Amino acid sequence: MNTIDEQLWDYIDGNLDKTQASAIKEKINTDAEFKSKYEELVRFNLNFDKIELEEPSMSFTRNVMESIAFEPAPIAMKTKVDKRIIYSIGSFFILSLLILFGYMLYNANLTMPGFDRKVNFSFNLDKYITPTTVYSFLFADVVIGLIFLDQFLREKMAQSKKV
Amino acid sequence: MTQEITDLMLIEKILNGQTDQYSLLVKRHQRFVFTLALRFAKNREDAEEIAQDCFIKAYKALGTFKQTSKFSTWLYTITYTTAMTFLRKKRLDTLSINDDETFLQLENHTSAFMANGYERKDSHHFLNQAITQLMPDDATIITLFYQGEQSLEEIGITLHMEPNTIKVKLHRARQRLKEKLQYLLKDEVKELL
Repeated sequence: MNTIDEQLWDYIDGNLDKTQASAIKEKINTDAEFKSKYEELVRFNLNFDKIELEEPSMSFTRNVMESIAFEPAPIAMKTKVDKRIIYSIGSFFILSLLILFGYMLYNANLTMPGFDRKVNFSFNLDKYITPTTVYSFLFADVVIGLIFLDQFLREKMAQSKKV
Repeated sequence: MTQEITDLMLIEKILNGQTDQYSLLVKRHQRFVFTLALRFAKNREDAEEIAQDCFIKAYKALGTFKQTSKFSTWLYTITYTTAMTFLRKKRLDTLSINDDETFLQLENHTSAFMANGYERKDSHHFLNQAITQLMPDDATIITLFYQGEQSLEEIGITLHMEPNTIKVKLHRARQRLKEKLQYLLKDEVKELL
């Protein structure tokens, strides 16, 4: 393909900026050969609009719908992996760790006589990790688990209603 | 696309459980997907199979549609990939050409035109004939650009190519199409175009 054709196609397709477009327009107006080539391409281009799309068989949509009838319903990825759930689980565990760490720091006897770097962590851990603390921790886990189970069952129920 | 219910609204409904709404999406895009498939398959039965396969694949993957591009662009990417896979399979099938029982029958498009005694038909018919004789990639680019009203960038996404490459390929495809028309219609091409 020669350069004239390329330039003219770019002009017809609207791929040129204002300066380039006006330069081509100027050429079309002044150069007879350029003008006749341009008119030929415009005529050729106009024919593309006349092309009609092909029509599939009458049963096409029905066939597609029958094929997908037994497929599981599509679910948005954001529903599959809800960021809020991830963040809530993450923040729960981070908070638990921070509380434990805070307690440790609060009760630790951090002494540094001279440079012997002796750190005394002698605090009574049993005093804080009581059955009540463990039960509260487990209770929070069970609640989170139940929330998940509830969501899972709701989705299942919605899917079975559709089928 | 100025439609009462946009593609994205329909997709939202489908993802919320109204799966029957998918038939509206199919009806809306089936003609173009079928036409695109026909550029590869060259016969209606195979093209219909490809097009159906595309819509089933699109349905299964609808949840992964990120909505950063037009649904049509996403659907045409699936169509192109499916059609290419079909062509590859078809090529593998025809590798048995050395088989004694296999014979090749070449279709003579020109003679078909001659036999019709250059029956006067509209430019649409001849253009369609010429497009079917193009290479699948050329025919696809022309179909996407003119009938699919896709930009060079969108065609680039569909065919996994740079927009500049698409621009060059489009220029060449149009040139080849013109040559095909000239070959098919000889002197009539000037009258037609």
